Amino acid sequence: MATDPTLDIDLADVLQESSRLAASVTPASGPWDAIVVGSGAAGGMAAYQLAMAGIKVLVLEAGRMVDHRREYRTMEWPYESPRRHRLPPDQRRLSVAEYEFLDRPYGNDPSFAKLKKLASYAGNSFTRNWVVDEKQHPTTGTPYSWVRARVLGGKTNFWGRVAIRYGPLQFQAASRDGFDIDWPFGYEELKPYYDKVDVLLGVSGTREGLDQVPDGIYQRAHKLNCVEVHFKDAVAKMGRRLIPGRAGVTTDGVLGNKYRAQCVGRGRCSRGCDIGATFHSPTALIFPARDSGNMTLRPYSIASEVFLDPATGRAGGVRVIDANTREVMDFKAKVVVLGAGCLDSTRILLNSKSPRHPDGMGNSSGLLGCYLSEHHMGPRGSGFIPTRIGTEPTLDDGRPTGPYIPRFRNVTDKHPDFIRGYHFQGGGGSSEFPGHANDMPGFGKAFKASVRKYYPAQFSIGGFGEVLPRKENRITLDDTVKDAWGIPAVRFHYRFSDNEIKMAKDMADTADEMLRAAGAENIKIDPTMLPPGWSIHEIGTARMGDDPKASVTDRFCRLHDVPNVYLADAAPFVSGGTQNTTWSILAMCWRTMDHLKEELRTRT
Amino acid sequence: MKMPLVTRRTALKALGATALLPWLTDAGLAEFAVVQAKKAPPRLKVLTPTQYRTVDALVEAIIPRDERSPGASEARVADYIDLLLSEADAPLRKQWLAGLHALDAEAVTRFRAPLVRLSEKQMTALLTDVSRYETATKPAPDPALQVARNEQPQPPQVDTLLGDVNLPRERPLLEAFFADTKQATIHGYYTSEIGIQQDLRYKGNTFVPEFVGCETEVGKDCPHCGRKAKA
Ligand SMILES: Cc1cc2nc3c(=O)[nH]c(=O)nc-3n(C[C@H](O)[C@H](O)[C@H](O)COP(=O)(O)OP(=O)(O)OC[C@H]3O[C@@H](n4cnc5c(N)ncnc54)[C@H](O)[C@@H]3O)c2cc1C
Ligand code: SF4
Repeated sequence: MATDPTLDIDLADVLQESSRLAASVTPASGPWDAIVVGSGAAGGMAAYQLAMAGIKVLVLEAGRMVDHRREYRTMEWPYESPRRHRLPPDQRRLSVAEYEFLDRPYGNDPSFAKLKKLASYAGNSFTRNWVVDEKQHPTTGTPYSWVRARVLGGKTNFWGRVAIRYGPLQFQAASRDGFDIDWPFGYEELKPYYDKVDVLLGVSGTREGLDQVPDGIYQRAHKLNCVEVHFKDAVAKMGRRLIPGRAGVTTDGVLGNKYRAQCVGRGRCSRGCDIGATFHSPTALIFPARDSGNMTLRPYSIASEVFLDPATGRAGGVRVIDANTREVMDFKAKVVVLGAGCLDSTRILLNSKSPRHPDGMGNSSGLLGCYLSEHHMGPRGSGFIPTRIGTEPTLDDGRPTGPYIPRFRNVTDKHPDFIRGYHFQGGGGSSEFPGHANDMPGFGKAFKASVRKYYPAQFSIGGFGEVLPRKENRITLDDTVKDAWGIPAVRFHYRFSDNEIKMAKDMADTADEMLRAAGAENIKIDPTMLPPGWSIHEIGTARMGDDPKASVTDRFCRLHDVPNVYLADAAPFVSGGTQNTTWSILAMCWRTMDHLKEELRTRT
Repeated sequence: MKMPLVTRRTALKALGATALLPWLTDAGLAEFAVVQAKKAPPRLKVLTPTQYRTVDALVEAIIPRDERSPGASEARVADYIDLLLSEADAPLRKQWLAGLHALDAEAVTRFRAPLVRLSEKQMTALLTDVSRYETATKPAPDPALQVARNEQPQPPQVDTLLGDVNLPRERPLLEAFFADTKQATIHGYYTSEIGIQQDLRYKGNTFVPEFVGCETEVGKDCPHCGRKAKA
């Protein structure tokens, strides 16, 4: 691993534990009722639901275990690290799958030359041990920044915590504007599950009574700081709302989970919250499921395909390649639940080829892999809020999320240029690194003083817009390129359409308009769209519906073609609205598991 | 040096968490503490002692000591730049060192003294010239270039803190060097203990039972922004 002992924590214990666990679980260790693939938001919730219902479940996780106490270095100061948490070129991990965690990316390496067109590279010493090495996990096709974390808990170890419900505007989007199709059910169907997720996992926020972002069952909300209150007042006059962030974080504590404590406001959650106030799948779901005695966990287990039981025509189980030993093993169970993350679950199905399913399992419609969607991002604006220019800094970031400006386009009005809409996330005040310093002209004492002067007054917002679900935006398996374990790589066929480009333009315009209304100084607008994939909110590719010719799964996320295979992640989602995906993955998965529990109960 | 490891561990204990192992080795921490201590000699990886002194003078001119806090020199930004250089790719290292050499040569041409021996006034005059582009009005961007990034090549993969060898050099060498060095200085200074704690007086990364930002949110007049509580 690390060549420099000061760069990283020592992972020897957790690596050893992972190998020991993997070796201890063989196909003969069963029987299991169900196999769950993956342990992120989807796999974690699936395993938790099944284990708590007394169902024997095997969780197959491609990555290693995570030692949350040591790996979540929540409060480490940059100056505790000689490189200030940046990685030297040979240590970087999150390469092609770009994401700006800390600051502008590090590193280049000749082996990445062929990928240069794809993306700029990022990486820092907090997340590099979780995200995949692109050399082992190549992708092909059109540029797509596919961020993947192969470790217990997946991307929930460092997700952004913004926890928003889908609402009627998403479920019935097609009825409102005539594009594509509605979800097979409405908000009322999912609402009870969102409620249960809120109570089980804890979410902080305020009740606002907005259809675009329906209210949940909230714990103590995180307040707004001065510049945000000022901005809120200004945009309220335009009929827009700035509301406190809704965070997948427990502020009042959750019942019956010894791995979690309530939020103490350090504001360092993206490195993993070491006290478990943030929802991370390991502490929130996987460890409690394990404690039930009904869950077996096998790390280092890469699912390559779901195999068919020729006698019944149903799935027989999951073929696994051990990530370390490369041993191939077939694990059997009555049902298979895929929660490897939208694109990896779809990839497994595409790779599950048999004479009966020559184009992949569940693909009789030919739509497996189609309708890839996410959120387009990039347009953003910033400025300084006059009421805080030149004041002493206050504690402005001691909370897990900044505020949220819910979608205001195509809610009651109709925009002439585009359908659907976008929301903004952002906020301001002083934070650890004075990002505005890079834009301050000059040098010397005057420069230094002006960095301080504007430090508490910073404010910025960035948009997240709906990407229309379109059939031609899809993934397939690459014919020649394979990953380090011989599994065909994902090939992207994905482009933004005119609707996204026009919406992005409007994002930049409204960001500008609102900053002006707030009287912000030195307004800067960046209208540039970020590359596809940047939102890390991928959905679709195995969409649900009642018509087996027009969808891959039924309304319970079960393959039309093979009824004992379920999808627990965002692959069945029909459209993604502007909402961050995770809370909906959790609610949908709970609903799917309730259906599965009932099936298992009535079948035996 | 403050010992945040201890603070954090103690704090976690108070919260009922089990003891943590340090994530930096003791040796690593100790070495870093030495570098942070003002007068410890630098352990140079790339820069010669002369170059180091030049860089030290330059970064201190960019972020100097003032009445509130020490500057980039005491924050050991030159050491940080040396570390960045040691891990940068050869072309980038070469480009940056060429810039350093050129700025020093410019000082000699204009003032018959290298950077380290310039008076404050001379240094200011020199840096004012090479940073003038920052406030010059920029030509409006060509709207034809404002296209979605479906096909557009992405920024190249170098550590852009010290500059970017793959970007077309739009500026003269001295200006480009100033821009790159200023960026690295900003990063090095404001990630240092001096920058964060003494200069910015950053208040976060601590335990707060309940976050209160603007005090009007809890029904009081706010002393920080002057907003009045709603009656
Ligand atoms: C930096 C960042 C910020 C984010 N911010 C937000 C936010 O604010 N709000 C929000 O809602 N969402 C956010 N997200 C997205 C969020 O993390 C994901 O929506 C969520 O984690 C998806 O859960 P998942 O279970 O589908 O996939 P993942 O969390 O990716 O988990 C997938 C798991 O499956 C495993 N796996 C993959 N392939 C295989 C295989 N073949 N065999 C076995 N196991 C496999 C992986 O190792 C992994 O553990 C963010 C993500 C990132 C990275
Ligand atoms: S702010 Fe709250 S959720 Fe975030 S790291 Fe601190 S305690 Fe955890």
